Amino acid sequence: MAAKVSVSPTSLIDQIVVPGDVVLDLSNMTNQTIKLGSGLHQDNDVISAMRAGKLSFCKPNKYWVESSHKRYIPRPEDHVLGIVVDSKTDNFWVDIKGPQLALLPVLAFEGGTQRNIPKFEVGTLLYLRVVKTNTGMNPELSCTDASGKAALFGPLRDGFMLETSTGLSRMLLSSPTCPVIEALGKKLSFEIAVGLNGRVWVNSAAPRTVIIVANAMMNSESLSVTQQRIMVEKLLAKISD
Amino acid sequence: MEIDREDGRTPNQLRPLACSRNILHRPHGSASWSQGDTKVLAAVYGPKAGTKKNENAEKACFEVIWKPKTGQIGKVEKEYEMIMKRTIQSICVLTVNPNTTTSVIIQVVHDDGSLLPCAINAACAALVDAGIPMKHLAVAICCCLADNGYLVLDPNKLEEKKMTAFAYLVFPNTTLSVLPEGSSVAEGEPVEHGIITSVTHGVMSVDDYFLCVENGRAATASLSAFFRKNFQQSQKDSSKAG
Repeated sequence: MAAKVSVSPTSLIDQIVVPGDVVLDLSNMTNQTIKLGSGLHQDNDVISAMRAGKLSFCKPNKYWVESSHKRYIPRPEDHVLGIVVDSKTDNFWVDIKGPQLALLPVLAFEGGTQRNIPKFEVGTLLYLRVVKTNTGMNPELSCTDASGKAALFGPLRDGFMLETSTGLSRMLLSSPTCPVIEALGKKLSFEIAVGLNGRVWVNSAAPRTVIIVANAMMNSESLSVTQQRIMVEKLLAKISD
Repeated sequence: MEIDREDGRTPNQLRPLACSRNILHRPHGSASWSQGDTKVLAAVYGPKAGTKKNENAEKACFEVIWKPKTGQIGKVEKEYEMIMKRTIQSICVLTVNPNTTTSVIIQVVHDDGSLLPCAINAACAALVDAGIPMKHLAVAICCCLADNGYLVLDPNKLEEKKMTAFAYLVFPNTTLSVLPEGSSVAEGEPVEHGIITSVTHGVMSVDDYFLCVENGRAATASLSAFFRKNFQQSQKDSSKAG
């Protein structure tokens, strides 16, 4: 029953790969610059997959393995939801569901000076931007965008936070607007903050709206576009009886 | 010389395999793997910050906890933990997340022979579910020698008791590659000819051992194909959204 793969596939793009699959042959592409995203590992001339998922390619030269997990690998310029676990004189320690705790400098706020350092208690939920990630060092975060403005970053008060997988977060943030959010938004009014690290915050005037929105988002993970709309319609019909 | 196996399998035939991933809610990765009646549940937590004492802080650290079905934890369990820790360390890329600890917890649900290979396969599936970076997968198989010199793969508990010797063998999986055939070499031999772990019990001759290794390696192709197909199926089921 040992079937040998006698013909090597010419391209594994858009295919499911498992760790160990060699996805790119660099000896054929000598003069190109290639950008490797998450899940790919370079070993001399061979690029192989480190995680299992779908190999994706974006022109002109970006390759990555798309997969959904419960933990998050920090990347610069990602928007995440973090929880404060400790505060020191010059940094807050924030948990962003990654391999290491992340640091939020005490001055990384709009108009932040030594005189108006914010006081966050342990357990505060913050909407943050990842500034830099280096191997071996704790990732650094900021509450401002690249130009120094506050731009909706900072603590999130009231509301309800739920933990999701990274794949669901990416789907909720996709453009055009995710069908679940669009369908819910037609009938209910609420605000949400989606972190790429698998955390979503929902807030609304009425608690029942928060619960409906949270449940609808959790259920939509493996549904197609039409299935999501149908699910939301059924949910809203049941509630309004 | 034919050998009659009680359940009617041929000597090189494996028991029916079943694998499911993401079955537990709290761990970051989980999988259950069953070969026939032997079933093992594996859960992965991590990577979490900080390594244990005496561990190299420039590499990722792994810890394995083996929970038997009944009874206290004793020397046998500690030995399994050590073997699994070494196997996992050699298949994972240790430099990606330095100074972190990943815990793998193995719970034996039922033991009907070939327990350690089943646990290694379950742990590998759980690590894939958690997204831990790996160089390649590990596929494990048990190969045993009857007293009439005949080799048998994947024994159940009764067969294991009757055998004179058996070997647990762990190989790297067969991978897809866009490179032309035969060019993925490491020091003159194709990477698929490597062996990761070998644990032997009993007495067997050197020739018999090499025959075990050959038969085991031939079976890894079907185990790898099963794993790949199982993974593709679960991706298709969960991503109809496209």
